[in-house]
Amino acid sequence: MRSDAASIPSTLPERLVEPPLTEGTVTPGSLDDQVLAFPDRRPPLKWYLALAVTLTCLAIGLVFMGITVYDGIGTWGNNSPVFWGFGIINFVFWVGIGHAGTLISAILFLFRKRWRNAIARFAEAMTIFAVMCAGLFPLLHVGRPWLAFWLFPYPNQRALWVNFRSPLIWDVFAVSTYFSVSLMFWYLGLVPDLASMRDRTTSKLRKTIYTVLSLGWRGAASHWQHYEKAYLLLAGLATGLVLSVHSVVSFDFATSVVPAWHMTIFPPYFVAGAIFAGFAMVVMVLVVVRETMDLKNLITLRHLEVMNKVILGMSCLMGYAYFMEGFTAWYSQNTYLEHNFINFISGTYGWAGWLTICCNIFVPQLLWFRKCRTSYFWMILVSIGVTIGMWFERFSIIVISLHQDYMPSAWRVYKPTIVDLGILLGSFGLFFTLVLIFARVLPVIATTEVKGILPDAQPSHHGDGHE
Amino acid sequence: MSSGNASSVLGLFDTADALMEAIPQVKAKNLGRLEAYTPYPIHGIDDALGLRRSPLGGMVLVMGILGAITAFVFQFWVSAVDYPIITGGKAPWSWEAFIPIIFEVTVLFATFTAGLGMLLLLNRLPLFGHPVLASDAIKAITRDRFALSIEAEGEGFDAAAAQAALAAAGATGIEVLIEPDRDPFLTSDYILRAAGGIFVSCVVAGLIMYGAVKLFPVLPPMSHMEDQPKLAAQKADPFFKDGFGMQEPVPGTVARGYLPLGVSSQEEAAALVNPLPTTPAVLAEGKRLFHIRCELCHGPLANGTPTLTAAYGAKPANLQSEQIRNYPDGKIFWVITMGKNAMPSHAADLTVDQRWAIVHYVRALQRAQNATDADVKAAEAR
Repeated sequence: MRSDAASIPSTLPERLVEPPLTEGTVTPGSLDDQVLAFPDRRPPLKWYLALAVTLTCLAIGLVFMGITVYDGIGTWGNNSPVFWGFGIINFVFWVGIGHAGTLISAILFLFRKRWRNAIARFAEAMTIFAVMCAGLFPLLHVGRPWLAFWLFPYPNQRALWVNFRSPLIWDVFAVSTYFSVSLMFWYLGLVPDLASMRDRTTSKLRKTIYTVLSLGWRGAASHWQHYEKAYLLLAGLATGLVLSVHSVVSFDFATSVVPAWHMTIFPPYFVAGAIFAGFAMVVMVLVVVRETMDLKNLITLRHLEVMNKVILGMSCLMGYAYFMEGFTAWYSQNTYLEHNFINFISGTYGWAGWLTICCNIFVPQLLWFRKCRTSYFWMILVSIGVTIGMWFERFSIIVISLHQDYMPSAWRVYKPTIVDLGILLGSFGLFFTLVLIFARVLPVIATTEVKGILPDAQPSHHGDGHE
Repeated sequence: MSSGNASSVLGLFDTADALMEAIPQVKAKNLGRLEAYTPYPIHGIDDALGLRRSPLGGMVLVMGILGAITAFVFQFWVSAVDYPIITGGKAPWSWEAFIPIIFEVTVLFATFTAGLGMLLLLNRLPLFGHPVLASDAIKAITRDRFALSIEAEGEGFDAAAAQAALAAAGATGIEVLIEPDRDPFLTSDYILRAAGGIFVSCVVAGLIMYGAVKLFPVLPPMSHMEDQPKLAAQKADPFFKDGFGMQEPVPGTVARGYLPLGVSSQEEAAALVNPLPTTPAVLAEGKRLFHIRCELCHGPLANGTPTLTAAYGAKPANLQSEQIRNYPDGKIFWVITMGKNAMPSHAADLTVDQRWAIVHYVRALQRAQNATDADVKAAEAR
């Protein structure tokens, strides 16, 4: 607390001194020149090349989405008894990716983890893009996407209402609330930065756009007061939300009676997995951003190392969750659960089960070593491993449980079709296209927030600059 | 610069420390309300400037509670009052299932109150015409400098004294800001063009939505279930020599349950014998079918005086007549099967056995209406 600052001895033991959050000399002005200058510069050739690749993926995805809409979802691999195939796997996967952003922007904000300031903006943007990708799949899975508004309770001539006891309706509310709140949170953070861009850009068009988007923000102290309050409140609200969204997603499974879905461990297990996958994606993207956009002094190796520690912690939680699945199967003496767990490690999809376990539990253990936490090669390897592992975890949960449920006469092996794979590729294309465009037109680092934590940023007689 | 219509006087400081030190100095001179403009929030500046606590927390709490109540009441009304359908064996009034949505709506209401309430209500944004935005200092303010401004309140604002006070406190780049006559960003021309653009966009979007909603529910693109590789009625098919898709049955085809009678006229039919025994069950079935198929025209007593005579041009036969009473069973069966005069065929409505059952019932009616003394005595004897 501020008032206690005077009582802190001026010389702390070295291990307690927090290293600076930036490297080299960073002043508010140099920060603006470094971060906010991108939109005024021509993008380099490699940016266009990357965009070409992601747009190609997106185009392929769009073709397969068109086939899905025109021919119907019979073109997907879903069929009895695996009615939930790639559509739900990808939905859960992408919603999970989004969780890292909210965790960084909200929970770490409440914990006063100041290192979050440099990476919060990018992580929040990734949240929004990931939720957009996630929304794509239920939208396509309803078959007639232009009638998807039927999911919302609105008065209609048919005098029908949605079923509020269905977890799928909870999902509609949870994901749409999550998207709205993330967007609001992101936009709120952007307003002062957009004002900075408005005042430095040389292009008339961009000045107009940034003027409108920044709403005429002028940095008045009376505005900052409300702004900080709003940000704190939003962080508190988003903290509850980030824990609830993936819990609600897990209710889709946990409230059903399918073997190995009907488990109380699902909500925390899903939330941990979401943060795990999300952090891996953030690390992967930030390494690229840090190198290509020359932000090494702002997004330091220390940031990446801390995030890798979170990944390691989440990996251990996942290990516990997998262990509990096996333990529950054994301890419950429930034939169906036992059968399901044996399928997880040795059935038709045993390879997916082992891929999940290896990528999510074994590979991240490398991060116990400081060398791996601070080396691009190892952290990228782990992040890609986690991303693959978490995708296959959802695959295992959904397909293994469904393809052999209570009635052996209905058992069937699920195979995705080329349309399934094409749409998955398209969702990655959409995600990275949006990331690339974001990196060029909006401030990738929350400059306002970083300015506030630079050395000497805060008045000295109000403490040591720590909040 | 004239200070007659000055709205504020503003000076820049290089560090947050310098700003914080200047505030009490300038405040002591009591020249007008103080406002600071900073690139990022400065801790402790609220107290230094004497700002009141932000009321946002209370607003968010109220709206959050309102959101919870809204979600709860709405779900209750839908699930238990307006549309009480039992799903999954849960009672309409299963409040536990409403909790996730109550939580989400609470967060939604609270978030929008916090975000939009802060921007639109408390900070009164968007505002593009504020004099600070037109000042030279704004580029420095949103970058790395700290501005302190003395705001004019009423007529007695002394701009010169304000400039001097700021200079004494160490400010540089002191500016007198003039209240602009019109919004420099939102000129009337600009507003007109923007409004026109929004109007046209709305009309186009509305037309597209109208078309989409009108068209798509009736013209679903994936109608492939209707395009099946089967032969539709009345369609040509090269498979057959005559090119007809629908073929006549092979001559001599007998439909299941419809064995040919082997007679071709009423006279020949006289030779047919009723195969059914005269049991109470057969008579009851005959009565039931007579009631459905015959009674409307022939009357409940089969004497040709029906309820429909007035509306019905032809005169139905009186089955109690001498002629018909003397018909053999086969002739009556033939009439039911083939129809006669205005009477249509009932072959499609009644199976062979049903027709014979009706014949039995008609015989019973005829005997009841023309009973002899012997019949009465026999009935009395029983």
